Amino acid sequence: MALFRLKFNRSKYLLLLFLPALIYYILFKYVPMFGILISFKDYNPFKGIWQSDWVGLKYYSMFFHSPDFPKLLKNTVLLGVYKVVFGFPAPIILALLLNEVRKGVVKRLVQSISYLPHFISNVVVVSMMFLFLSPTSGLVNHLIEWMGYSSVNFMQNENYFRTLYILSEIWQHIGWETIIYLAALSAIDPQLYEAATVDGASRWHQLRHITVPGIMPAIVILFILNIGHVLDIGFEKVLLMLNPSIYSTADVLSTYVFRTGIQAMNYSYGTAIDLFTSVVNLLFILTANWISRKTSETSLW
Amino acid sequence: MNKKTAVVLSAVMGASVVLGACSKNNNEGASPSPSASATTSASAGASASAAPTTITPQTFTFLDYSNPSWPYDANWKIWSYIKEKTGVTLDIQLPAGNLLEDAISLAIAGGDMPDIMWTQEKRLADKFGQQGALVNILDYVDDMPNFKAWMEKYPAETQNMLSSDGKMYEFPNQGLGESNRRTWMYREDVFKKLNLSTPKTWDELYETLKKLKAEYPDSYPLTVRNGLRYFEDFAAGFGVSAPVDAQRVSAYLDGTSGEWKYAPIQPAYKDMLVYFNKFYKDGLIPKDFLTIDTKMWQDIVSTNRAFVTLDYIGRIDFYNSALRKDNPDFSMNFMAPPAGPTGLQKNAFTAVTEEGFMISSKSKKIKDIVKFIDFFYSEEGHKLVSWGKEGDTVSGDSFIEKYTDISDLRKKTGLSTDGTYTWFDFNAHISVSSPELKSAYEQAPQYDNAKTSTPPFTPEEQQVLSTKGDSLNSHRDENFAKFIMGTRSFDTWDKFVEEQKKLGYEEILEIYKKADERAKAAVK
Repeated sequence: MALFRLKFNRSKYLLLLFLPALIYYILFKYVPMFGILISFKDYNPFKGIWQSDWVGLKYYSMFFHSPDFPKLLKNTVLLGVYKVVFGFPAPIILALLLNEVRKGVVKRLVQSISYLPHFISNVVVVSMMFLFLSPTSGLVNHLIEWMGYSSVNFMQNENYFRTLYILSEIWQHIGWETIIYLAALSAIDPQLYEAATVDGASRWHQLRHITVPGIMPAIVILFILNIGHVLDIGFEKVLLMLNPSIYSTADVLSTYVFRTGIQAMNYSYGTAIDLFTSVVNLLFILTANWISRKTSETSLW
Repeated sequence: MNKKTAVVLSAVMGASVVLGACSKNNNEGASPSPSASATTSASAGASASAAPTTITPQTFTFLDYSNPSWPYDANWKIWSYIKEKTGVTLDIQLPAGNLLEDAISLAIAGGDMPDIMWTQEKRLADKFGQQGALVNILDYVDDMPNFKAWMEKYPAETQNMLSSDGKMYEFPNQGLGESNRRTWMYREDVFKKLNLSTPKTWDELYETLKKLKAEYPDSYPLTVRNGLRYFEDFAAGFGVSAPVDAQRVSAYLDGTSGEWKYAPIQPAYKDMLVYFNKFYKDGLIPKDFLTIDTKMWQDIVSTNRAFVTLDYIGRIDFYNSALRKDNPDFSMNFMAPPAGPTGLQKNAFTAVTEEGFMISSKSKKIKDIVKFIDFFYSEEGHKLVSWGKEGDTVSGDSFIEKYTDISDLRKKTGLSTDGTYTWFDFNAHISVSSPELKSAYEQAPQYDNAKTSTPPFTPEEQQVLSTKGDSLNSHRDENFAKFIMGTRSFDTWDKFVEEQKKLGYEEILEIYKKADERAKAAVK
């Protein structure tokens, strides 16, 4: 007890600093979590959460029996997996390439240009895609036609959706995500490189044995965090790109929740699907963390 | 409307008034404060003759919508007119982020509802009304002499506002629906130049579009916006007009058999899609027709790349007044709908609006509010909200000031903006229109399809419609797109019908039938 008091006294100002954050999390992150109750109830906004009737797993079974369920799950998982497979390594590769650039000016220029798209909103990015890729007036199709090929209806072809989504995601975020790896790179002790050079290691060897292992902890942590969002596919951008001809590949859980849960006011149904998504995400993150703990020293906990 | 339904509907109204009176007893939750009922009962007695519509000056809180094209302004003349006539000041709250639906849900869930709320969709009123959040208007008909008379005058509008439980949670609306009318339009000047006449049939339409394309190779002679939405209008010529949007199932009331049918599986619907497939192949509609938004559509029309289009009738003025500055010949004009294979020359009936007032069941001033809203159903209120005040905005039957168009009128006066009307004289809007638009308003109604409205559903039915219906709708849209773009062959049409069946259109039609029968039974 005495020890506790001593510790408390010593850190009371720190705790005071922490207090606003704690209150924020309780109020805005933990309290709203009780809202998931409505996925087990026939939620009636006039009655409120407590007074609404319990219906058990009705909305979950409704969702699992929906003819769209397999399609939605497949689209969401595929898009999430592609994003991890292609989107995750992209900033690492850029960071490693930038690291090899010896001229400071060039490095800074590339960095600035590559992180600017991060500040463009999704609405604008998708409008740009529609404009550039339009078969009636788009620049890209004019170019294709000029080269003697027939124009491609990019935004209305289900086979192009995933590629376009992932490519634009990479374009938007590559520079921004590179920053964290560049920071990790700068933390590597320069003496290691000097020693390696003395030992006769080539640039490639240095990269393999010093640079990559040096930023590995950062990579692993970010990877685990990324895995936790496999099913949280950016709702806004998919919704903006969505049109009837690409439903079969582009309709994902979040757009479905928006349509049937929010627009059609089936709040309980929407919440049930959302909770399902979160549970799957949690499973992903736990698995990734477990694997990482078994195979390397780095893990979230 | 045929004679038989007219008779049924007019019989309806008296009945629903009685019905309202009956349901009053089991609605104690909404009993107003004794003082309010005391003041109103006195005037209710005198209401048989010209009713005094003024009530004790007071303020009601009102959750209203602010249209981005004519944003809410507290200094609009309309508010002072209303105050002058009714003694009521409206304390207006605007929805955060302009999301009216969310704001209403939030107000209801939070239990802190304003006295009056404005809705743009009836389903919202039905949903929250059946949950007990809104006043059943029929309970108060006796306090609203003007409304009572109005209901007898407009039985169809009244009936359309009934909910599946036979009650009414939103005040019906008449007159301003005209502004939602959609129609075919064409570029008169270009047609004249090329010596083309407006197509009378869909075959002629195809030939005409081809001639236009030959003359203007970079054009997409027929261009509409918003994806598949206007297929509701196109389908009218084929006799299978039904909504095509993500939220609504494509069910329609068949005029000849009087039965609810599902449009997308009808052979006539296939005929229409075959036309569009031809249009697509020949480049007569844009290749990216599904993703043409308003902005792109405007670009295409205003740069001489589309010559036939379908949209809100007011777009005639929208284009003409904007584009004549640079091109004095530019002339967008009304076009009669081309006839489908069976000779039907029809437009979907789109002159409807679902906007209206709702009253909170928790309000302490219900009796005063209904008296206030009753004013809007009087001849005087009708004129006031349509034209404004004699000598101030209007003189006789024309506006004093010259407004460039309807939104100019709205922005300057607040007339016909959200929350200021229920019964509207559309001549007020016609009076600020160009001669072309005026003549369009005169011609358009003769091509109207029969007026049908969606029957009211119970909350359980709504849930099925929105979940099962969503699978059905997305499959429908996806395959319409494929048939048109030629990525799915019409040889597989039977298979498509089979797929739609599996997704349950029959079950959904059954819901429509039941809801319709229930609605009819309720008013008998």
